[in-house]
Amino acid sequence: MRRLRLPRSRIEHSLAARVCVLCGFGVAVIAIVVYGSDYVIPVVGVIAATAGHIVSFRQRNQRREFWTQVLLAGLIFGALFYVIADSTLAVFGGVLPQANFAILLVAITSFDLKSRRNCYSSLWISLAILYLAAVYAWDYAFVLFAAGWLLCLAGFWMASHLRQIEAAIKAPVRPVGFMLAGALVVGLAGFIAIPQPSGIPISPLVISLPNFTAFRGDMESAALPLVQIAGDAAGATPSVDLHFRGRLGDAPVMYVRTGAPAYWRGLVFDTYRDGVWTAADHSYRQTEPYVPPRLLPPPPEQNLGTFVQTFRVLRPLPGVINAAYPIQSLYAPVAALREDAYGTFHTPQQLTPGQTYSVVSYIPNLSPQSLRAAEPEAVFRDPNAVELDGGALSPRARALARQVVASTTNEYDTVMALNAHLQGNFRYTLDLPPVPAGRDPVDWFLFDVKTGYCEQFATAETLMLRSLSIPARLATGYSTGDYDPVLNQAVVRERDAHAWVEVWFPGHGWVPVDPTPGVPAVAATQFANHWAAGGVARLLPHLTIGAPMAAVGSLGILGAIPPAIAVAVLVVLAIAWLRRRAARPLRVTQPGESELLRLYERVQRKMRRRRAPPETPREYQDAMDYELLMELTAAVNEGVYADRWPRPERVREIAERLSSR
Amino acid sequence: MRPTWRAYGALALAAILFWYGATSAVPWLFLLAWCLVALVVATAVYAAWNRAGLSLHLRVARTSPAPGSPVEDLPQSVLRAGPAPAPVFEGDGFGLEIGIVNARGPRGPAWAVGQLGGRETWAGTGLVPAGRWAEVKEMGAASRGAVGARGWRIFSSDPLAFFRDVRPVSDATVLLVLPRFKSLADRIPPRELEAATAAPRAGSGNELFGIREYRPGDSLRRIHWRSSARRGELVVREYEPPGMRTVTILVDPAPPSIGVADQIARIAASEAWDCIREGGRVALGALTSRDIWEVLESLARYPDGDAVESSGRDCTVVVTADPDLFDPAARRNWLVGDTPAREDADFRRVGTAWPL
Repeated sequence: MRRLRLPRSRIEHSLAARVCVLCGFGVAVIAIVVYGSDYVIPVVGVIAATAGHIVSFRQRNQRREFWTQVLLAGLIFGALFYVIADSTLAVFGGVLPQANFAILLVAITSFDLKSRRNCYSSLWISLAILYLAAVYAWDYAFVLFAAGWLLCLAGFWMASHLRQIEAAIKAPVRPVGFMLAGALVVGLAGFIAIPQPSGIPISPLVISLPNFTAFRGDMESAALPLVQIAGDAAGATPSVDLHFRGRLGDAPVMYVRTGAPAYWRGLVFDTYRDGVWTAADHSYRQTEPYVPPRLLPPPPEQNLGTFVQTFRVLRPLPGVINAAYPIQSLYAPVAALREDAYGTFHTPQQLTPGQTYSVVSYIPNLSPQSLRAAEPEAVFRDPNAVELDGGALSPRARALARQVVASTTNEYDTVMALNAHLQGNFRYTLDLPPVPAGRDPVDWFLFDVKTGYCEQFATAETLMLRSLSIPARLATGYSTGDYDPVLNQAVVRERDAHAWVEVWFPGHGWVPVDPTPGVPAVAATQFANHWAAGGVARLLPHLTIGAPMAAVGSLGILGAIPPAIAVAVLVVLAIAWLRRRAARPLRVTQPGESELLRLYERVQRKMRRRRAPPETPREYQDAMDYELLMELTAAVNEGVYADRWPRPERVREIAERLSSR
Repeated sequence: MRPTWRAYGALALAAILFWYGATSAVPWLFLLAWCLVALVVATAVYAAWNRAGLSLHLRVARTSPAPGSPVEDLPQSVLRAGPAPAPVFEGDGFGLEIGIVNARGPRGPAWAVGQLGGRETWAGTGLVPAGRWAEVKEMGAASRGAVGARGWRIFSSDPLAFFRDVRPVSDATVLLVLPRFKSLADRIPPRELEAATAAPRAGSGNELFGIREYRPGDSLRRIHWRSSARRGELVVREYEPPGMRTVTILVDPAPPSIGVADQIARIAASEAWDCIREGGRVALGALTSRDIWEVLESLARYPDGDAVESSGRDCTVVVTADPDLFDPAARRNWLVGDTPAREDADFRRVGTAWPL
């Protein structure tokens, strides 16, 4: 059987190219340090890689020794062992173990960089490191790292090419500078202005490997950011108490790479008693860190596809997977997950800064037509018998609910009527005085102060819907946050902590509905401007990009004619240009020829009148009546017509005589 | 202009980054991918710009005479009239200047590749300044004859080698390597030397002999004003006297081997040199000249060229590997090689080693 082998790669002799490879690695490592808060291994890796490059360059012409290869292979296995140990036991802190492995891999293999292919391998691993940093990068400063790495790659290509043609590292600075700057600017423009295709997510993004810190005992109570309970410093509570409200600042909590807007749902509550929401069902099931679609409920009947979200935690958070629901699949770098009775996933420990998890969710179809067409089920299956329990609502509030929805005929219109009433007649505020002692918080909100924050609105609507026999419950978590269309990510801050209502629609499941004033009743499922060009287009209100295309489109099949003509013209122009510049055999110039002709050109410029095309050199000389032109004209004539060119020294003599005059 | 595998590789890398960005929702991958695509486009524009206005220039930049080269023996006045920068004799080394002439502003990279005297030669640079860039390549010992530049091409590309352009250059002769020679006066019998010294000198005949510096007493009518102006000193014409000596050399038109041909050329050149330095004139094939360089150039091309054409004159010297070409009336017959000859013939046999 024929042995398959790659063609032999040539030894990379260019020191500059190797320096570029090392610099590319350095750029990627600095990006990891900056965005991944990983310090020890990157520093060790850079030092080792520098030493390795020096050794590799000095020994590039020597044969590989068997025991050296064995040693390097052993080191690579050692690095692999380190990654596994760090991932599973967090022996070394568990910070970006896969990035650390890539760094160590580059550092080890840098001792054996002989061929150009080896250098390419090192660069591609550096790109993988840069990719890991890119996952964590949430600001525009990352452009500098991307540009730096690309410049290193370009430098490697340039240095290796010049070495291949046995040329020194020299280049026309300005044109090359224009070329590189142009490429960066055009690339940046393409990045900003051209829609970023979002393919079907294959699976959740695996950023970190799972560790073995497992659950200890029962599921711990999750801390809620919305409500701070006195007496519990950690804020850990399985309840939402409407009597209290925490102070929420602007500090970022997490950032989310997402293809669609959504509420990042955390805990769900279904039992309301005396101003406090709790969960009735405390059952759960334990799963692996990767939850595939087959372990999760089937997709909603009417969904618009899926989208992937990658969450990066920026400050300590309760061990709750905030994500868009319903979930298709998810991955979190923990030993195990627990899914509570409401579909929310929990982690064994608090989420720590730097931790990343990824979720693929369905995009629900929340159009009014679809929701309005939902047929009510005969019996709503409620195993806890609480999601229709509106008993806590006062008769006055029940009467208000009936009054508001009196004219509605279906569930959707009922929900929207109640929602519109709350959004239109009540005011949102965070400066709410404490609920008077003994007063029911909902009645106090509905009939006394008529102002409140999201919990008041959501609680009131939930209970009023229940009083109308519509299943509803309270959901908490975060709103989408500040969305950046260029980076396709949302920064979620403390003040984005939110509570809303989940209403059961037959055929749709639990649909988020938000009664808080100032936000859409039904959450949007697509960004208004999914890509940055949308933002740019907003700045140009008079520019209607779609109008010309619509006009062309109205022509039907004939609409293909204008673009076809444009393409044909471009092709003809391109062919004409290429033919004009077709390769013509050059003749070998004689010594002195180019020097003399350049001097002749210079003299013509100096005399402020160039020789006309039909004018012979002799006629030009007679017309100019310039004594020193005689010798030059004679030399030009002799060269052009007799192919006897003067020696370069003689041309220089003529030039000196001309300049001295 | 054609894309290289590297350009396809860059586009493939961009495609991978696009695909990965689309499936992983990491937008920075799109930035890297777009920059790579833009880099390919920018290099295409650069390569198209870089290919214009370049032409090739080949010349001998310097020579390094080998031990025993005739250059060591030739007087300066003779050398000055020789090919620039210095004549190259067989066995001499020389430096070939491979230049790329650039009619526009600084550009690069560019490189030239081709055969020089059957040897693959190349030179390249990342920067071609306005005007000209050149690199001198040492070419080693040269063999007699024309050194041709064959199959030369000028390459240009963008700095990253994504796109490459190649333009062919017409073949040309860069250099003529002259045969070695050495005065054979010490091998010529004294009677012939006497005859040589009795040969006529420059005098006042009718045929132009040459020019020399003005000496007091020269007629002002003999001043060559144009040459005087060029040199910056007065020079006068010299006319050769009537009855000047002419040596007619016959060389074997079909030498059996290159080695024999080289030796025939060397002996003929030596005979010619002995004649010319004594003020005589050489007739070699169709050529009749008193200029040693013209004779050497003719012999450098031997057995091609005009050295083997019949002059229709009686021969003074015959240099051959074929004894049938001996001329009994000739002053000397040289036989190169081991070919048997009649014992009664008057000739001198030599091998192919040099000097004799």
